[in-house]
Amino acid sequence: MQENILTQQIARINIYALLSRLLMSEVDEEMLELILKDENMLSFFPTFESWEKREQYSNKDLIEKYLNVDFTNLLLLHLIPYESFYTREDQMMETGGDNPVQAIFNAFEFNVALDKARVMAADHIAIELEFMYELAKAELKAMEDGNMQIAKEIAQIEYGFLKDHILEWAPMFLLNMKNEAGTAFYYDLADFALEFILSDFEYLSELKKRDYDYLAGSK
Amino acid sequence: MYLQSRRTFLKGAAFSVAGVAIAKGVFATDAAAESVTNSKFTNTPDTLSFYPPQSEWDNFQELDGADWKRGGIERHGVRSEENPDGIQVNNYTIVPTVCSNCEAGCGLTAWVNKDTMTVRKYMGNPLHTGSRGRNCAKGYAVTSQMYDPDRIPFPLKRAPGSKRGEGKWVRTTWDDAMAEIGKKMHDTLKKGDEISKKQIIYHVGRPNENGFGHRVPHSMGVDGYNSHTNICSAGARQGTIQWANDDRNSPDWANARLIFLQSSHAADAGHYFQQSAGLIADARKRGAKMVVLDPRMSNSAGMADLWIPCWPGTETALYLYLANRVLHEKDINGTDLVNHEFFKEWVNWDRLMANREYIEKHMLGNGYISKMPKDDSYESFIEMMKELYSPYTKEFVIKECKLEGMDHKLDALWEMYIDAGDKIATYLWRAGPIAHRGGWMITRAGFLTLALRGALRGDIGGTSFHHWHEISVAGKGDKSTVAGERPAKVDVWNEIPWPPEYPLSSYEMSHIMPHLLMDDAWHEKWTKKGLKIPKSIAVYMPRMYNPVWINPDGFRWIEALKREDKIELSFNLSPTWSETNWYCDYVLPVGLAGERNDQQSTPSKPEQRIEFRQAVLRVAAEKAGWKAKDPSRATLEAHMKFGLGEIWEESEFWPNIMVHHVDPDGSLGIRKYWASKKDPSRAVTVPEYFDAAMSLLPRLKETATKMYKNEEFPVYAYMRDHGAWTEKTNVYKPQEEELKVDSEYVYAHGKKYPKNEVKKDKFGALWIEHDGREHSIGLVKDDKILAGFHTRSKKLEFFSEWFAEWKWPEYAIPVYPRNEGEYKKMEHLVTQVHHSFMKADNEFALNTVFRLPYNIHTRSVNSKHLMEISQNHNPVWIYTKDAEKLGIKRGDPIRVKVTDTVSGLDSGYFVAMAVPTEATRPGVLACSHHAGRWRLKESVDIPGFEHPLTIMGVGAPTYEMTNDGKVGTLKPTGGLHARHDVWQFKEYNKDLDNIWWDGLSGSWQNAVAPSHPDPIAGNHAWHLKVIIEKAQADDKIGDIVVNYANNFKVYQAWRDQLTRPLDHNDTERRPWFIKRPAVPLSKKAYEVHIKA
Repeated sequence: MQENILTQQIARINIYALLSRLLMSEVDEEMLELILKDENMLSFFPTFESWEKREQYSNKDLIEKYLNVDFTNLLLLHLIPYESFYTREDQMMETGGDNPVQAIFNAFEFNVALDKARVMAADHIAIELEFMYELAKAELKAMEDGNMQIAKEIAQIEYGFLKDHILEWAPMFLLNMKNEAGTAFYYDLADFALEFILSDFEYLSELKKRDYDYLAGSK
Repeated sequence: MYLQSRRTFLKGAAFSVAGVAIAKGVFATDAAAESVTNSKFTNTPDTLSFYPPQSEWDNFQELDGADWKRGGIERHGVRSEENPDGIQVNNYTIVPTVCSNCEAGCGLTAWVNKDTMTVRKYMGNPLHTGSRGRNCAKGYAVTSQMYDPDRIPFPLKRAPGSKRGEGKWVRTTWDDAMAEIGKKMHDTLKKGDEISKKQIIYHVGRPNENGFGHRVPHSMGVDGYNSHTNICSAGARQGTIQWANDDRNSPDWANARLIFLQSSHAADAGHYFQQSAGLIADARKRGAKMVVLDPRMSNSAGMADLWIPCWPGTETALYLYLANRVLHEKDINGTDLVNHEFFKEWVNWDRLMANREYIEKHMLGNGYISKMPKDDSYESFIEMMKELYSPYTKEFVIKECKLEGMDHKLDALWEMYIDAGDKIATYLWRAGPIAHRGGWMITRAGFLTLALRGALRGDIGGTSFHHWHEISVAGKGDKSTVAGERPAKVDVWNEIPWPPEYPLSSYEMSHIMPHLLMDDAWHEKWTKKGLKIPKSIAVYMPRMYNPVWINPDGFRWIEALKREDKIELSFNLSPTWSETNWYCDYVLPVGLAGERNDQQSTPSKPEQRIEFRQAVLRVAAEKAGWKAKDPSRATLEAHMKFGLGEIWEESEFWPNIMVHHVDPDGSLGIRKYWASKKDPSRAVTVPEYFDAAMSLLPRLKETATKMYKNEEFPVYAYMRDHGAWTEKTNVYKPQEEELKVDSEYVYAHGKKYPKNEVKKDKFGALWIEHDGREHSIGLVKDDKILAGFHTRSKKLEFFSEWFAEWKWPEYAIPVYPRNEGEYKKMEHLVTQVHHSFMKADNEFALNTVFRLPYNIHTRSVNSKHLMEISQNHNPVWIYTKDAEKLGIKRGDPIRVKVTDTVSGLDSGYFVAMAVPTEATRPGVLACSHHAGRWRLKESVDIPGFEHPLTIMGVGAPTYEMTNDGKVGTLKPTGGLHARHDVWQFKEYNKDLDNIWWDGLSGSWQNAVAPSHPDPIAGNHAWHLKVIIEKAQADDKIGDIVVNYANNFKVYQAWRDQLTRPLDHNDTERRPWFIKRPAVPLSKKAYEVHIKA
């Protein structure tokens, strides 16, 4: 297995993990410190990097006075980060077991702990992104085991889930989030997520075109 | 910056911390997913009307409701040892039954948890073609009623040595109670004289069953049935009897073009609410219009296309105005608006025209018409009608109904009425017809407007009569008994329910029962005239009834019940505590909707259907293999075994008391009607009796016999498992059904008559002689013999010939006073709350009789849910400008003083809260008489029983009462409070610490109201003339002060000034051919000889 393919896969895993984490719950001091210390991570938050408030406040104050307030506004109160809200004609959320995204998770025998996530339904943007993270992880494992058929099947699922679900609504939501963001951090996060999702779909589309021949692309 | 270079994201691989440490990690694979795959539960049904298929009812698993809201099994899986956080699954037996909270009898299913043998919920029954799986708030409240914390757990007996009303009770058993009561009944009947056959009275509230109760007095040979009809619907029934000799009409709501309602009945309360409301909604969805005549803007009026707030009791004028226009106007093609094809064929104009003596003496004589018709042709009849109704002009109606400024509404009404053609559905029932003197004429006039347009033909979308849409077999399980046949007709006439002043009443005069009992002068007068009237009732037996509270002049009821010389023994078969229970000797707790066995049938649409109410715990237990020790007491045993308490019900109680106590040796000839044919040593069982009764339906019998080949009682088994059966659909134009005729016989009403004995009169009616009486059996039309209506003429009777003969000739056709001069002359048709009686600004008509959709008279006080939503919902509605004029503001307590317009006597007052509103018309107050329950003690202690029995602890505040035989008062002393004393059904009553309401939902206005017996229909005319004033300093909302000595005089004034009693010229008590329900009487019983 070529190193660059594995690197790419690890990158996908890590970015899905980071995005799902940040869209799921409020950033805490530990998380913020991690981002600030890691230049690679920080590079995805270019506006935040040079945000003057960052200089004026301690991390704790920054979180409490700005970031958490913005998180609450964007992801809990005013915007609705749930697929069904965007895709159903009646804009109703399906919080029960009949949520189609929930049904997909169940089909793959993934049980989502909504209470731990503190979200209302399985089609929350962070849950969908964490699902992608789980799939990418499984894909990586298959690659490492040399089981490319399994990897291919998982990549197909990733493609399908992105196309049929995440891309159906997340770009709209993220554009709204970007517009409504009151802090550089969440402005960047929305942009980062949007860019990455589109980019990853392009990557998977390319892979699909090659019939999931990972090596063909790297030649 | 779309799109960033993919390479940028490769930096993600170089994060200092791996994704696994960043991700929240909300996914896990576990046992839940597998359990979901293996399950078959429906997380969210596609429609609200989702029900499991009937084939799965015996064993149906459903997710627990409390868990379901966590997201269903798709989220949590099914609970098991491996998946303890999964969703709880309940194992149910679903047993069909029927709601008993109102007369509609909607289908219910009881979901009996097989593990606990408790009913977890009541849902609808989709197999019931009337209610179609739906219920109203009262239906879903049955669970709270079943597990009411204040449920009476065992039979109670008045403590020996205490007086009635003292509130001292001891615990007894059903067997001991039956022994004492049965002996008293036995000893009374043993005398065998005429008086003793009038001394047992079974007083049934809303029966919610079709004939079993009638069988009780009938089988004992006593004329002892008393209904609540006279405070409910007697006016409407009277008008319907005169038109069609039927009890009530029956509309085809769903296919109508005009829903024409007088009152909120059908669409938001009452007969047959929920079923009717759903059908009305269906019709409106398809474009039908809805008109509501009602002084009050009810929910129905609020959503109607047209609300016409006539002055209450004047609606007759409006109907006759419509008749006038129909007779005089033509449609745009120049065609008459009268549907001559129907009217000429099916209305008895011919008999009127042939009776020139009547026309001359009463129509010409009373100035209804100015000249005699030139001949007896139909055309001359129509000409006469035109003159007869010409005074009822728009101007007249506006003045009479006080619709000033509402001309446009009358125009709109006219358009809707005409546009609908013959597809007009109505249900004239309570409201106007019961509320007023002469209310019955509202029905007479209302049906005239329908008949003229052909809408009474009973065709699709029109209005028919209930007889054809109802099946009554509950009293006919005779084949299961030793006798094997119906009891013989009863030979006595009981003057207590059927007094001689009211020979035409519809029906029993129950609201004046205590007055008659205590009216010595009345007793003496009729005794002198040769009648044998009992001075006391030996055994008085209310059943699911609360006469003290619901009847007018409640203090008179209390007086009578307390008098042991007047009512020697009394017991109430009552599911709940009630004001009446307080004054009885026994309180015998009987079952609610899921705890009884009744056959019911409700005419809510043009079909013939029965439903079967069941004791669901018994049925579920029997399905699980449980067997009663005594099959004739299986319901009682099941209730005791499965924790409901010593709750029984009538279809087992009556057979048992009759067989073992009333007539144990059969010497009275009663036992054989209640002893089992299968095992004569015991009483008949529920399966035996109802299988025999319901087997009378041929299609049901055929279906059930095929389906339940191995069952001993296949018809019972079918109804046990399905709960409802529709014998016939699309019952339209039933009067036009051809009678079967062969070479020898004419077949009618299940009998056959030799052709040579059948005689045809000149109007085409066929007659036979039977039992010394002439019976009409059909009507010849062209070359066919048709069934016809139930009248003597077999036609609809515009002219009620018998009514004319029975002393009321001037009202034998639909009429109404045409001017002020006729108000006195025709006083029997003028409401006691007519606007001409209102002189001062603070004098009003009080509209009392409307129902509250979530309360049913006295049957909802045991439901915490219904009582919670009832709070403060019964103020006195007063028109905004009237309130302004009197300086009354929202929330002000006011004194509502009741005064009688016949005797001029005052009755006292009640104190209530005023709410100024545009939703009642000027001059008319509204305050429903369905609220204002009371209790004198919070609870009673039963010797030897550890828990105090709380009385109506979710629904009635505590009051202090005084009464001295002349004046009675009631004053609220304490409200409800949070409950921590619940000792039974705790699982169902975890929320009783959250009783926030005080229970004071109104005043007991019924007690202030004197009895106003209509001189003809006999109904208590409910509405009241009142004078209002602001409350005084010491007044509290809920206070009442009643001069019931005056009320006694009011009843006497109405009786003596307005009636036309039987006299020495009369030979019969009542026209034998009009309905006298319950106990069939012999010709001998009808005969009367009144001394001059």
